[in-house]
Amino acid sequence: MRKAFLLLLAIAMTPPAAAQRRLPVIIPLGRSSPQPAQPPELTGIDALRADFLVHSGADTVYFGTGSAILGAPAQATLQAQATWLRLHPEVVVRVEGHAEPSETRDHALAIGARRAEQVRNDLVLLGVRAAQIGTMSWGKERPGPPRAVTILVR
Amino acid sequence: MTYARLPLALGLAALALPAHAQQPAGTAAASVVAIPPLSTPSDTPTPAGGTLSLAWEASKTIAQDLRTTSEIMPLPPAQKDYYSYPEVTAPTFSKWRSVGAKMLVTGFIQAREDGRVTFGCYVYDVGKGREVARKGFVVAPEEWSRAAHKCSGLAYTAVTGAPGIFDTRIAYVAESGAASARVKRIAIMDSDGTNHAYLTAGETMVLTPRLSPKASRLAFVSLAGGKPQVRLIEVASGAQRPLVANDAISFAPRFSPDGTRIVFSMMLGENCDIYVAGVDGGAPQRLTTSPGIDTDPSFSPDGKSIAFESDRSGSQQLYVMNADGSNERRVTFGGGAYASPAWSPDGEWIAFTRRGADGRRIGIIKPDGSGERLLTAGPGDEGPSWAASSRELIFQRAEGTGSSGLYRISLDGSEARNVVIPQGGSDPDWSGVMD
Repeated sequence: MRKAFLLLLAIAMTPPAAAQRRLPVIIPLGRSSPQPAQPPELTGIDALRADFLVHSGADTVYFGTGSAILGAPAQATLQAQATWLRLHPEVVVRVEGHAEPSETRDHALAIGARRAEQVRNDLVLLGVRAAQIGTMSWGKERPGPPRAVTILVR
Repeated sequence: MTYARLPLALGLAALALPAHAQQPAGTAAASVVAIPPLSTPSDTPTPAGGTLSLAWEASKTIAQDLRTTSEIMPLPPAQKDYYSYPEVTAPTFSKWRSVGAKMLVTGFIQAREDGRVTFGCYVYDVGKGREVARKGFVVAPEEWSRAAHKCSGLAYTAVTGAPGIFDTRIAYVAESGAASARVKRIAIMDSDGTNHAYLTAGETMVLTPRLSPKASRLAFVSLAGGKPQVRLIEVASGAQRPLVANDAISFAPRFSPDGTRIVFSMMLGENCDIYVAGVDGGAPQRLTTSPGIDTDPSFSPDGKSIAFESDRSGSQQLYVMNADGSNERRVTFGGGAYASPAWSPDGEWIAFTRRGADGRRIGIIKPDGSGERLLTAGPGDEGPSWAASSRELIFQRAEGTGSSGLYRISLDGSEARNVVIPQGGSDPDWSGVMD
């Protein structure tokens, strides 16, 4: 009873979304404001990974439950991934497929592998060299939505 | 700690089992079995302790073994019930009748001149006042518990008619760490939880350990090569090798009943089919050709058939085929999806995981598709593996917090019971009775 009351109170006290945007001006106190943190210098594979992410928009595409078919947003992501990979033919990627946790262990491994293969096939159709792309399956071992992740290996 | 498990020498092999000991003795309710402390002709020191204390420990192990079954209610050993060595073979039946015991287990441990011990085990029908089974074992003193498990098995068989399940091992995947970065190790233990050991170190993801029939070897799936692939490990030495030398994703291994072959799934592109390969190498032979996902093959005990799951119809269903891949026929037609079939050692049942609106549940069905029965309520149960008795299954159950544990369930309708392990566990596999 008491908990419920407190919860209602908390909701009532939360400002509506419009009010949240009217933030007060923040005046830094003290003699000097802290130095903005320098982003770390990226080199090698890390720099390539960052560049790949920026230009592809995402390293992950999502599937419908129990399906290996990709929707329009995923197709756009793969299009961008393929464009980047065509510009970097020396880069090798591994596509890792994932299945939903409700699957049974071994069926999940096969479903994950199928999703990875689907992404690989799509990338090849979009002009990426087949030798650039390996596949693997995590089955249901890394919980999350059904997906395939393109990871730069080298 | 893994030590080589040598076959137990049968010291009293000449004492053959009476034929009537194989008859089931009516199991409507749990049978009361008395286990007074084992005797010794003379208390002799051994590296594992004096024979009198070994006899006491062995009696407790037998009582513990039998307590894990739903068919037997053991009367645990009590100091006051010590009997003399001659009484091993001439028990006072009236005393055990008066406490309601249906069966009686007696025995002795005697030191031998070669440093080993003789373990004698006798099972009596108290009501009829006669012996129903006896067996003797010669073991190193440190291996007394294996002889005790064999003795438990003798009593279990005398009551139920089914093979004893105590001198067996259980392999499983020990799990620790957060769900997003779970550390998984292959673990193995005696079926009563003792002699627990890890066979892999946790540096790579491992799945689905499957023991060879005598628990000397183990097939499992490892991501060590960058993708899921079947590997073999020798339990005694820990030596590992891949089953098939190729680059394909492979998983879901299971041994043939004679331990010489392994059935498993292998993927070529998007297609997942069932293959069979010799344990000692050789090219795998393809058994299924459907465009669906064919996986989780399990041999029938006679080695002539293989049960498996396939989603070729649109949802996962169970199928049975001949061991050469011919004569495929569908077994399940109920609602929901059916997965991870496991053929019982007596050939009567195929256990499965059913996925439906009510989650994942464990059930059994006859190989001809009749007699389907769900055993657990779910919602996160998976991966049944049979006890050697064909009367009980071990499986994994999700425990809410993202972790899972191991449970045993009997076919007689009693509640599932937790199997105590050091951490979380999944993918349990129960071996056959060891030599």
